[in-house]
Amino acid sequence: MKRKPASNRIRESGARKIFRVFNALFLAAVCIVIIIPIWNVIVTSFAEDKDVMGGVYLLIPKSFTLKNYIRIFNSGYMRGFWNSMFVAVVGTGLAMLITVPLGYALAQKKLIGRKIIMRLISITLVFDAGIMPFYILIKSLGLIDSRWSLIVPFMISTFNLIIVKNFMTSIPESLIEAAKLDGCNDLMTLIRVVIPLSVPILSAVMLFYFVSFWNRYTEAVMFINNSSKYTLQVMLRSLVFQSDGSLGEGNIVYDNMKMAVMVLGMLPVLVIYPFVQRYFVSGLMVGGVKE
Amino acid sequence: MSSRKEESKVREKKKTGFSGLWRTICRQKYLILMMLPGLLWFLIFKYCTYAGLGLAFTNYGFKKSVDFVGLRNFIRLFRAPQFWTAFKNTLIISICNIVFYFPFPIIIALLINELRSLRTKRAVQFMIYIPYFFSWVVVGTIFVNILSPSSGVVNQILNAFGFDSIYFMADPKWFRAVLILSYIWRQMGYGAVIYVATLSTVDVQLYEAAAIDGCSKWKQVFYITLPSIKPTIVTMLLLNLSHVLLIFEQIMVMYNASVYSVSDVLQTYTYREGILSGNIAYGTAISLFTGVVSLVLVMGTNWISKHFLEDSIL
Repeated sequence: MKRKPASNRIRESGARKIFRVFNALFLAAVCIVIIIPIWNVIVTSFAEDKDVMGGVYLLIPKSFTLKNYIRIFNSGYMRGFWNSMFVAVVGTGLAMLITVPLGYALAQKKLIGRKIIMRLISITLVFDAGIMPFYILIKSLGLIDSRWSLIVPFMISTFNLIIVKNFMTSIPESLIEAAKLDGCNDLMTLIRVVIPLSVPILSAVMLFYFVSFWNRYTEAVMFINNSSKYTLQVMLRSLVFQSDGSLGEGNIVYDNMKMAVMVLGMLPVLVIYPFVQRYFVSGLMVGGVKE
Repeated sequence: MSSRKEESKVREKKKTGFSGLWRTICRQKYLILMMLPGLLWFLIFKYCTYAGLGLAFTNYGFKKSVDFVGLRNFIRLFRAPQFWTAFKNTLIISICNIVFYFPFPIIIALLINELRSLRTKRAVQFMIYIPYFFSWVVVGTIFVNILSPSSGVVNQILNAFGFDSIYFMADPKWFRAVLILSYIWRQMGYGAVIYVATLSTVDVQLYEAAAIDGCSKWKQVFYITLPSIKPTIVTMLLLNLSHVLLIFEQIMVMYNASVYSVSDVLQTYTYREGILSGNIAYGTAISLFTGVVSLVLVMGTNWISKHFLEDSIL
């Protein structure tokens, strides 16, 4: 046992070393491809007009000014920002309020009708009726042109629900039984025992919900016609792709202004993500979708 | 696990009969109350939309009265050349997405797994995950910037080597490639982190045993790593397949009139016909068609994986 692997290890270690160097280089390249465009957005958003006029791809900051941001804070884009904020904050709150109890209930093995409910729910994971029936439904609920059309229909994501349920299934039954013996009903057990144990997974799911509400674009275009209720993403799209001129002088909007709105559009997510990031690996186990 | 199953069987036997059922409901009243809002939501926002697909067989839309018209909408659909263009584009983009995107996160995850330092591993995961949090509007804008014919970094590199600038966002030859690349750029970290999470659960002893038996690194990947993450791969594939025909937001954000011919997909066609033109029943017919094809795709793959890989999610 000792002789062979020893020689093996020496012979392999040369190839391994080369592999490891290439691996590190490759992954570094991947990271650079991801970071550079984001860096460019941030640098450009702080640049003076004269530095972006000639059409350059800024990577090294040439100037630093807050002028672009100040102008945006006094423009109609802030209304879009607050609309998006409202949708994202209220939406995330309601989503957690509905998803967590349902996930908890489905994690209880003794639950009546559990199998059939799980089956009916997992169907929604792979079958989507598409936009037309969805549009008709929103219309008949009278939600067209209401901010609630961007909240209520998205209060549960089946994927997030299953993540929560799977995590709560892994909580030892004895803990729940113990809480019951202490006279807790299911609701109290959830609040006092299960939620404190599920903080990592719940923060990850909360971030997922927040991001999905904050980033939603197509539905905002389909359901909202009143421009005072536009979300930031809709306004950003029309700024970049349809050259909305409201921010510029003489209808020319330079890239620095566009990128400042972009930063506004990525900001909340970039602020929250680093805090939640460490919970991700534990939270992202897929599988166990079927029951 | 098996003892638990037996236990629940015993419990099921106990509560046969109506009074037993009633007693269970009473005992679980809090659980049922907690489920109720969520289940109601599923009923309204998922199952009602499934029922709404029935409108595909009516003339709902312009007139006040709703009549059953049989397959008329579908006949019109299959005769419309625009539909076939949209269907063809959807298939091409979907197949490219599956072929080029799908293996990418697996490879990245395997490579991340080979990194030795835990801190580097974390840092790489942290960075590649970021784009997943950006909306398609933000990702679209980033790609417009990179690919801009005047100031984009890609065209500047092309110019430096003596090539002409390419209008990536407006050239039908290039636009699909832009779609696939931006899709990979945004989604790769998401998939990779899921696979890394699964890889961390593989028993290290397996590798040690294999190394002692003289198994090379390559063989270890094929005989230990990939089989251990197979269930996750199958799940991810099925989830991907179920949504691949529904590609919509990315295209809504990124396409423009000059690339309609290569990027008009089923969903954008539905949107134009059903919502913008108000032809609701016809739009629903397209939705139903898309849904059924997706379902066939998912069920077929599920069946294949059940029979050949002994793994399935449904």
